[in-house]
Amino acid sequence: MKVAEIQRFCMHDGPGVRTVIFFKGCPLHCAWCHNPETQSPHPQLLFEAKKCIACRACGECPEGVHVFAHIHTLRREKCVSCGNCTSLCPTGALSLCGKEMTPKELLAAIQRDAPFYQNGGGVTLSGGEPFLQGEAVLELLKLCKKNGISTAVETCGFVSPALLKEAIPLVDLFLWDVKDTDDARHKAYTGVSNKTILENLRLVDSLGGKTRLRCILVSGVNTNDAHYSAIAKLYHSLQNCEGVELLPYHPYGDAKARASGMDDTSHAEWIPGEETLLHGKNALLSQGVSIHG
Amino acid sequence: MEFYSAFGKRPVRLSESTRRFAYDSLHCRYGRETAAVPTVSLDHIENFAELTDLAKYDLAIREICLHAPLRICEGEKISGSATLGEAIRHHVPASFEGKPVFYAVSHLTTDFETVVKRGIAGIRDDVLASLKAHRGTDREPFLQSCLSCLDSFAIWHGRYLEALKEAGYEENCAVLSKVPFGVPTTFREALQSIWFAFAFQRLCGNWPGIGRIDWLLGDFLDRDLAEGRLTLEEARELLAHFFIKGCEWICGGNYGSGDAQHYQNLVIGGRDGEGKDITNHVTYLVLDVIEELGIGDFPTTLRLHKGTPQKLLRRMAEVIRYGGGVLAVYNEELIYQSLLSYGYPKEEVWKFANDGCWEVQIPGKTNFGYDPFDGLQVLQQKTLQTGADFATYDALYSAYLTDLEAAVAGIVEYHCHEMLGKDDRGRWRWGDWTPSTVISLFEGGCIQAGLPYFRGGAVYNIRSPHFGGFADTVNSLYAIRKLVYEEQKCTLPQLLAILEKDWEGEEVLRRYVQSRYAYFGNDNDECDEIAVSLAKDFAAICRGQEGRCGYGTPPGISTFGRQLEWAPHRRATPYGRRAGEVLAGNCSPTPGTDKEGATAVIRSYCKIDLAEMTTGAALDLKLLPSAVKGEDGIFAVTALMQGFTTLGGFFLQLDVADGAILRAAQAHPEAYDTLSVRVSGWNARFVTLDRGWQDMIIAQTEEHS
Ligand code: SF4
Ligand code: SF4
Repeated sequence: MKVAEIQRFCMHDGPGVRTVIFFKGCPLHCAWCHNPETQSPHPQLLFEAKKCIACRACGECPEGVHVFAHIHTLRREKCVSCGNCTSLCPTGALSLCGKEMTPKELLAAIQRDAPFYQNGGGVTLSGGEPFLQGEAVLELLKLCKKNGISTAVETCGFVSPALLKEAIPLVDLFLWDVKDTDDARHKAYTGVSNKTILENLRLVDSLGGKTRLRCILVSGVNTNDAHYSAIAKLYHSLQNCEGVELLPYHPYGDAKARASGMDDTSHAEWIPGEETLLHGKNALLSQGVSIHG
Repeated sequence: MEFYSAFGKRPVRLSESTRRFAYDSLHCRYGRETAAVPTVSLDHIENFAELTDLAKYDLAIREICLHAPLRICEGEKISGSATLGEAIRHHVPASFEGKPVFYAVSHLTTDFETVVKRGIAGIRDDVLASLKAHRGTDREPFLQSCLSCLDSFAIWHGRYLEALKEAGYEENCAVLSKVPFGVPTTFREALQSIWFAFAFQRLCGNWPGIGRIDWLLGDFLDRDLAEGRLTLEEARELLAHFFIKGCEWICGGNYGSGDAQHYQNLVIGGRDGEGKDITNHVTYLVLDVIEELGIGDFPTTLRLHKGTPQKLLRRMAEVIRYGGGVLAVYNEELIYQSLLSYGYPKEEVWKFANDGCWEVQIPGKTNFGYDPFDGLQVLQQKTLQTGADFATYDALYSAYLTDLEAAVAGIVEYHCHEMLGKDDRGRWRWGDWTPSTVISLFEGGCIQAGLPYFRGGAVYNIRSPHFGGFADTVNSLYAIRKLVYEEQKCTLPQLLAILEKDWEGEEVLRRYVQSRYAYFGNDNDECDEIAVSLAKDFAAICRGQEGRCGYGTPPGISTFGRQLEWAPHRRATPYGRRAGEVLAGNCSPTPGTDKEGATAVIRSYCKIDLAEMTTGAALDLKLLPSAVKGEDGIFAVTALMQGFTTLGGFFLQLDVADGAILRAAQAHPEAYDTLSVRVSGWNARFVTLDRGWQDMIIAQTEEHS
């Protein structure tokens, strides 16, 4: 499985204390992506300029990726992600995002924090899109269940329904991203239609899968009453949805985007203010939606 | 009237007047009053200089009880005050020719069980009985001193009765006329009884802890509630007054380690002698008061075990979230094991409390002291002197153990000489030490033996060697093992030369050791293994010292903030730290080296066999307010506490603090008077710490976030 990162002691990605596994690869390309380094399924060289002391140890790269003029720049198009330079770099400025790990290895990493998973904690598979890892995801989920670890999966929903069906009995909670209820906007900002996503959601719901909807609020994009009403309607149409979580857009993705050589896509105007958030929350509450957090 | 919170508004349950009382007390009103009258004078006593120490001491206590100012705070429900300023400086507050004559006693929790069950009258009976048994022996003078101090206590008590009557505090007066000399029957009497005995010890300069307050008081409250004498609300008010009075030594100003550090710890929860959880109404009221007022002067520790009610655990988490670091956690089961394996009798172990800080002891029966040393100093200045070389890592490590053993033996030796003498046959005997009669009255064993606290009177006598710089030492050893012996990037003499030059010109290597190795606190088994063996070997060294003199020498791991004094004197370390830079506190990771978050820190720490650290090894964790928000935050804090005990932790200090707020408090101290933070076994009001301490806490806060 292609793992971008493992984060321990996370408190806001499902109930209790959780270990979150971020997988690489995502079928969507959200303009506001919080984890841009996980979009590509391939290993990627990350370079944190702040940590670089210009020692030039990485200059040994046979592809000539690292160029030292007055500053250290990268010719990323030449990089074959072999990772050699990351082991030469003394400062940790270079790292390779996208480590191949087996479900068994992942289980061992997850189990490290098992003593802290009391009160409903456990593992959250996230990304990227965990279900892009295919059958291996099921294997990992099975291993977790077998070892008494509670499981949550954060999914964008744009995945194979067959895989989802198989996953239902293995997942204690789906954190289901509902980025936008307006399909035109959904296409414009994420690159795909929300049709499949919502169909899959209904499928999972009808088969007893427990869900929590995670709705990103992007100021000026989807912070409107029509969207809130649509979320409320969706929520009420589901049998097994425990509630809605509102996630304000935050330009977290920036530093990571820069490190992976992607364009900086942050939009200060997208950050919702206190009032906007409160309005969204109240709009949902007033329509009988249970809000988490 | 706002009381500082790192996280939202604190709830309001207490009456306006009680909140006002707290506000005044926390804003130094009574502390300043206390500081203004430092001592009573002994100058008028004829031939004072010629008297024996014991006679001087008895007179000092007598004069204090006769002349200490009385204080009745407006509306107080609990009476009695330790009103002399030198007591805040750990002296018996009586001076001769302008100087205090005696030091007082701290680092113990005294025996309040006897106070509540038998009253001071019961203690007096014990003295009389012992006097009868020891009449005409060398123990008699001490027992006479006991009687004298009890008489002085009665004088002070009488003065309060009169003053209260005069001021119209009839209810206080009625309660106080029964206790502490008599046996209390109600919650209020029991609370007043403990307070007055506590205040008397403090009046005479001592700094006792109180110990298991809910265990002491729970039955009284239950009875009052059942018989309709008192409501929970009334009990909460009473308890709040007890806490507020406890802040009467807060007097502002920079005190180095803060102005609220007088080892007055409380312990809540845990099991009784039959193994039953003792959680009761008082337990929850204590949390209510801390939650509302943020009072840090009674740092309070929960004895957590498998049977701790979920409700209590949740209340702990809720209160911890407000910050202030008032609450901490003991792993009861592990401490039972630890005390048993050290050899304490089973019927004593369940009573454990602490020395007023966090070092575990059997309360009311232990003469306790600990001896701090810096293990990193031993490594740097003994084992790794310039030019040192070892063929293998194992050779280096065993050389270090030899040096460590010599250091510990040196400490024990020093105390044997300082605290003890030798008799004519060369055997250790207890030497003369400062008189300690007042404390001896409240320490089981002293009266019965006819021996004072400082002369072996207590049932248990402990001097615990405490390993400081633990993580720094582990990290140094780990970096050397990797760099020199495994990767062979340089030789040991080369590395030592680099360190001597403070990494100058070796930035690449410095960054390498910093970013490439995962040190103690990252759940890296390879490094933690060194911590495990080091602790084990240290424990064995301490065991080897047992029996050398009259003290037991069980080990512990702590720094209590001393890393601040040590840091400027420690040269560069192999793990990339430059000379003078910050060092690790207690048994926590070196700041800046833990990168995997709180659970990884706990796991690293818990790999150590902490049951061998009989007097304790503290882990300090600081969380950001944002990490504990909402229901998720409560779960997180609870999970950390539970995981900590499941994994075999010893003592956890969990604080919620925000570096930005702490920095604002540095800039505008006037606006942050009631902001308290956990320092190390005690709380400090942040603005009364001096700059070095403040910076250290900010560094820790930002590391762990
Ligand atoms: S990962 Fe390999 S190809 Fe890419 S820059 Fe580093 S050494 Fe060169
Ligand atoms: S090896 Fe690392 S620190 Fe050195 S120049 Fe390359 S990126 Fe910078």
